[in-house]
Amino acid sequence: MADNDNELTRRRFVYTSGAAGAMVGLAGCGGDGGGNGNGNGNGNGNGNGNGNGGGGNDRPLNLMHAFTGGDGAIAAEALFEAFREEYPDMEMDIEPIGGGGNQNLDTVVANRLSNNDPPSAFANWPGKNLEKYAGALGNVDDVWEENDFEDVHIQEAVDLHKRDGTYRATPMASHRLNNLFYNIEAVEEAGVDPESLDSLDALIDALDTVATETDRIPMTQAMSGTWTITQLWAAVMQGQEGYQPYMDFIEGNGSEDAVSSAFSTMKEILENYIGADSASLDLTASNGNIISGDAAFIHQGNWAAGAFRNAEDFEYEEDWGAVAFPGTSNMYCLHFNSWLFPANNPTPEKAKTWLEFVAKPKAQIAYGKNKGAIPTRTDVSMDEFGPYLQDVAEDFANVDHRPPSLQHGLAVTSEKMSALNTVISNQFTGPFNVDEATQGFLDAV
Amino acid sequence: MRDIFSTFQRSDDPSDSNDDDYVTDGGVAGEHSERKPLGFLSRAKSGLNDRFGGDFVESMPFWVPPFLLMSLFVYGAIFWNLIISLTDHNGFLSEPDYSNLDFEMYVRAFNDPNVITAASNTFLLIVGFTLGTLLIGLLMAILIDRGIRFENTFRTIYLLPMSLSFVVTAQFWLWMYNYNNGVVNIVLGVVGVGPVDWLGNQTIVLWAVVFALLWQFSGYAMIVYLAGLRAIPDEIYEAARVDGASTAKMYWRVIIPQLKGATISASVVLMVFALKAFDFLYALVSGYRPPPGTDILATLMVRETYANTNWAYGSAIGIILFAMALLIIGPYLVYQFRRDNL
Repeated sequence: MADNDNELTRRRFVYTSGAAGAMVGLAGCGGDGGGNGNGNGNGNGNGNGNGNGGGGNDRPLNLMHAFTGGDGAIAAEALFEAFREEYPDMEMDIEPIGGGGNQNLDTVVANRLSNNDPPSAFANWPGKNLEKYAGALGNVDDVWEENDFEDVHIQEAVDLHKRDGTYRATPMASHRLNNLFYNIEAVEEAGVDPESLDSLDALIDALDTVATETDRIPMTQAMSGTWTITQLWAAVMQGQEGYQPYMDFIEGNGSEDAVSSAFSTMKEILENYIGADSASLDLTASNGNIISGDAAFIHQGNWAAGAFRNAEDFEYEEDWGAVAFPGTSNMYCLHFNSWLFPANNPTPEKAKTWLEFVAKPKAQIAYGKNKGAIPTRTDVSMDEFGPYLQDVAEDFANVDHRPPSLQHGLAVTSEKMSALNTVISNQFTGPFNVDEATQGFLDAV
Repeated sequence: MRDIFSTFQRSDDPSDSNDDDYVTDGGVAGEHSERKPLGFLSRAKSGLNDRFGGDFVESMPFWVPPFLLMSLFVYGAIFWNLIISLTDHNGFLSEPDYSNLDFEMYVRAFNDPNVITAASNTFLLIVGFTLGTLLIGLLMAILIDRGIRFENTFRTIYLLPMSLSFVVTAQFWLWMYNYNNGVVNIVLGVVGVGPVDWLGNQTIVLWAVVFALLWQFSGYAMIVYLAGLRAIPDEIYEAARVDGASTAKMYWRVIIPQLKGATISASVVLMVFALKAFDFLYALVSGYRPPPGTDILATLMVRETYANTNWAYGSAIGIILFAMALLIIGPYLVYQFRRDNL
């Protein structure tokens, strides 16, 4: 009998709480009174608490970065080692957050910033990417001024590290985006001279020759992510349409003809000259195709050179070579690895010391020569860098134009970049819809 | 535990001392209340006990802490997320502005083709995966229930994939689906089909993902069905046989209809797994942007939130996903409630 009562009551309780839940749900949708009070209270409490806590200066220098894979990890270790030599007493709390490009790092940094608990500094891209952190980045004008960084950097680097006229970051290293790497054995077998490729038409002819003369894949393209396609589009745009149309596009004044014609060329390449397994190919496997000689060409940022260098018996100018992407020999498409300075910094002085350090020759050499990136400064001796990077640095100093990278944060905000990649994902991963992709790109920026 | 508990009792109400033997029984407590005059606490206690069941107050130390923790960290978080989705919060500029709540983010979401695509992909994934898994699971359960040799071995083999994490199975299927040297294309090549670009063809890729998940979870459906089949008395099989039913007819008309309960509980669990396909897609490409054609609400939500720092918009997508989950779970809860199981 008692059991029976219990049963009924519990059932009634479940029923009632279900109904109550629904009521609360409805109330949540309709009323805002309750939400107001709670929300504001919480927000203020958090902010104040952490702000005060951050005042203390005995906290270690808290750095976040995503240099965790292969040469990235080695380069980061060399960088931190160099810093410890210079500042043996400074305690460091380094948080490497690898995976998914910068995605996981971005996620952790976003959580830390939105909880008002920023790190001392974090590695990221400057340029339009700084927009994402609007209001959350501090001022490092003094670091640039005291060290005369402006005098040893190209104007583009100076501009890209400012937001609202204030320096928010300092640069550590630069990669070049507009490269065409090739396997020398493969191009020789096909009888193609990469040095002579001066236009997209010439490139397509060369790819065609590789396809007909050899059993190799003409061009390997890692399409398991959309980023390589967006990146290739930027190179095609620069190479085929030129510097100014590319700049117009990223500023939101793109010409429909130029965008569409770049997509048409892309379509021809992607439909005919890439490997059949491209959709499941990632960057490592794609680089592997060049190293093994299964493919002749690859377009990639020059971090690919790091993979080639680490491969055994694969030497620059003997086994692999690099030229500027066809049509872009007067350009260096910019990529920067920089360190951003959060506002409300837990250790402002230490963080500034760090930002100062990474933009000095010692750090740029330690990191760059291990990562396969060149110094952003123009006054660093390239003796310690290999022959390939010496060539890159020479181009960096001498080219006519240095357009910002589309896929790596400099040219457009991260939201626009995400929208561009959605367009690629929906319209340009096979089937390749030139018109829809063109319209999508023009709408996105 | 009982000692601690009785200490509670005493401090609660001194007049109640030395009555440990009776406290768990509402009926006896009633008699006992006639013997002694009651203080306010006792009256409140017996009032609550009468209202919610005999041991409501006594059991509080056991269920109140988890109840509060769950309320705060699960339901509280959902509620806060709902509130954030009504703001326009984005970027790092400021705290969310709670003074201006509206449905703007939901309007934006329902007009956003990406959300529509992701929602329909989520729906197709849930339906395709759940139905397929149930079907395969049922077939395997019936086969195993036919009294085959090595029954236990087969059962273990089929169930094993479920013990693997999504991260492992995603990598596994990435290799299986490889265009050039994946096992799937090699096997299909033997019979002259393909090669098929499983992860690159937008019309196929979602079903390739569904198949991979189906492979992982059909063992679970099999176990649930097997338990259901074992609960059906042998007499029913015999009766069907005596009435002249063929094996197929016996299962179709007699046995499968009795597996309704197993079907419903298995499908709810499977649908919840389908909602968690985020892990699988994330591991497949090591990023928030799954292969073209497989974008689901969960991946879209994370991209909007972290790549674009559109906190409010991401929250709104999260709430839409939550509503979809409720639509699935709700009917099940009602069903169980009607069957007196809650």
